[in-house]
Amino acid sequence: MHEGSYHLSGMGSRRTLRPTREFLTVAGSTLVLIGLCALFAPSALAYGALSGSLPFAAILAIVGLGQMLVVQQGGFDLSVAGGVSLAVVIASHYPAGDDALLPTAVAFAFVCAVVAGLINGALIGLVRLNAIIATIGMNALLYAGVFAVSGGVPRITTDLLASIAGGEVFGVGHTVLIAVTLLAMVWFMMKRTVAGRRFEAIGANPLASRAIGLPVKRHQVMAYVLAQVLYCCAGLLIAGITTQPTAFQGDSLLLPSVAVVVLGGTSLLGGRGFPVSTVVAAFFLTLLSQFALSVGLPYSAQTIIQALALGFGIAVYSLRWTGLKTLITSSREVKG
Amino acid sequence: MNKSIRKTTLAMSAAFVATMIAGQAMAQDAPSWCGPNAASVALLDGFGGNSWRQVTTASAREEAMKCASVTSVEYADGQGNTQKAISDIKGLAAKGINALVVFGDAGPAVLPAVTEVFKAGTIVVPYRVDIGGKEGENYNKWIGASFVNDGENWGRWIKEILPAGGKVLFLSGPAGNSQGLDELKGLKNILGAEYVFVNAEPFEVTNWDPALTQQVLTAAISKNPDIDVIVSDFGPSLVGALPSFEKFNVSIPALATSDGNSLGCFWTDNQAKNDKFKLFTVATGNDNARLAMRWAVALATGGTVPEEQIFQAPMFENSVSGTPSAVQCRADLPGSIYLSAEMSAEEQTKAIDQ
Repeated sequence: MHEGSYHLSGMGSRRTLRPTREFLTVAGSTLVLIGLCALFAPSALAYGALSGSLPFAAILAIVGLGQMLVVQQGGFDLSVAGGVSLAVVIASHYPAGDDALLPTAVAFAFVCAVVAGLINGALIGLVRLNAIIATIGMNALLYAGVFAVSGGVPRITTDLLASIAGGEVFGVGHTVLIAVTLLAMVWFMMKRTVAGRRFEAIGANPLASRAIGLPVKRHQVMAYVLAQVLYCCAGLLIAGITTQPTAFQGDSLLLPSVAVVVLGGTSLLGGRGFPVSTVVAAFFLTLLSQFALSVGLPYSAQTIIQALALGFGIAVYSLRWTGLKTLITSSREVKG
Repeated sequence: MNKSIRKTTLAMSAAFVATMIAGQAMAQDAPSWCGPNAASVALLDGFGGNSWRQVTTASAREEAMKCASVTSVEYADGQGNTQKAISDIKGLAAKGINALVVFGDAGPAVLPAVTEVFKAGTIVVPYRVDIGGKEGENYNKWIGASFVNDGENWGRWIKEILPAGGKVLFLSGPAGNSQGLDELKGLKNILGAEYVFVNAEPFEVTNWDPALTQQVLTAAISKNPDIDVIVSDFGPSLVGALPSFEKFNVSIPALATSDGNSLGCFWTDNQAKNDKFKLFTVATGNDNARLAMRWAVALATGGTVPEEQIFQAPMFENSVSGTPSAVQCRADLPGSIYLSAEMSAEEQTKAIDQ
């Protein structure tokens, strides 16, 4: 069992705050990208541009944190799109412009998220279904919910939700503050509580954890529930900041949600999670697309750049570079 | 058994009553495209899941009901699934419906099915999306919309408000969509080299997604805070994005786009504090379906076919001249209705609330 992650300072920890390799990689890449922006697309770093793009980075970060919890348990959550979209349509349809109905709608959205998460968790943790198959099925169910609530037709957000999601405190958007708060909560729970430490241990080796008597199934179920709750938060924020969201607003978040987890350094095989790195990766990916837009690259090139960044992330963490080096040298020796 | 008989009787009597009422109402002034032969028609959507489609479908249905010879109007939604869209076309033709009005979202993928039912004797009128093929060979008549015309209308208005030229930002939907390319053709027909397009060629891709639109617009403004006019073929998706200009401390620029109630209300609420915010809209084109329906009914009932062969979206709002209309806002009704459509705002509200 790892002795915790050391990459966040200022949390009152007595331990050495040595940054992890994962954090250094993603933070370094982000700094390089910021440098590139300053050189080639300074407009992407302007205050206006950042305040326009940071809310989306924050939403991606929240969704990424949810996905990370599931990935830590060796799973995969493909019901991101459905979860986010359902929260969007519940928050925009049920109140239909009436601020007074918003709290009920938000509460209902969270209830739906918990139920969806419990079903996901039960199917995967208890019934032992394959995570990809179970969450694809759940995604279809959630979309059935989206159609039942909205008929596929978008509605306009209530003014209250728009002001909550779109507001600013000292020039920092509420979405950013909410994302940072959620990050702090996830980080604290995972790294500083017994349950969180167990959660990581179970992800790293469920069999060994079961052998030493840890409640493996309960933690696996919790991962899916918390993930849905985080998707729900993201959905509510999207409904607020886009004013007139579509009923399928979550669709474009599925791939990026996995991308930020991978770029953040969490292994797709499960185990240790890197919440701070995941959030930095969300900022990195968003800044990357702003960079591509500001430089004026065609859409095809923008997509390719994002794919390359994802490939780079997987390569950095997944390839065993020393093994590769040995392989190359030994093949040279054979040839020679 | 009893149940199904009761159901059938009920449905038949309902249809009979509806036909009687419709017949009485329409007998006084049947449109010329409404012939004497009884016919059933159906409307096939490739993807019915947004308010624009619901208003469009309701409009086509309303149009068909103007003709007493129309015995029934059926509807099928392909739900964005090409397989379902194809089986809907074949299924309704096999059921014996006389005329099909097809919104072929899947493009040429539905052409084989359309050709098959056309050859088997069903009247087929595809509209709005070009599915390829030829009139008389694959279907009866294709009722396209002239997006070049929309582009030219926008271009003429831009020339009026910015005679000396300026910076133009053009946003459209998915990469390479033919609607955006045609609109650009129209814009370029009117606007000379003094109008500089600051977007990536041929247009900035937004997928008509409000979240992506917001990000694209932010990047564009930070690069060019002095944009003079934004051209977009889906006005309502800009409503969430336009407040970005506030963050750059510049006025929202002029906007040439398609209409939507939410956009009209946004202009009404924000024009006072944004001195450069002028608005020009063309009708978003729900009534394209009415023209297609008229053709289908005319061919199926033996009426006179309409003269119009292509749908030209009329100009709608102009905040500068007030003609053909000043900017309209019905704050009491949903934002996702289209006041440019022939169908009344209240009827549209009912259609999207189903």
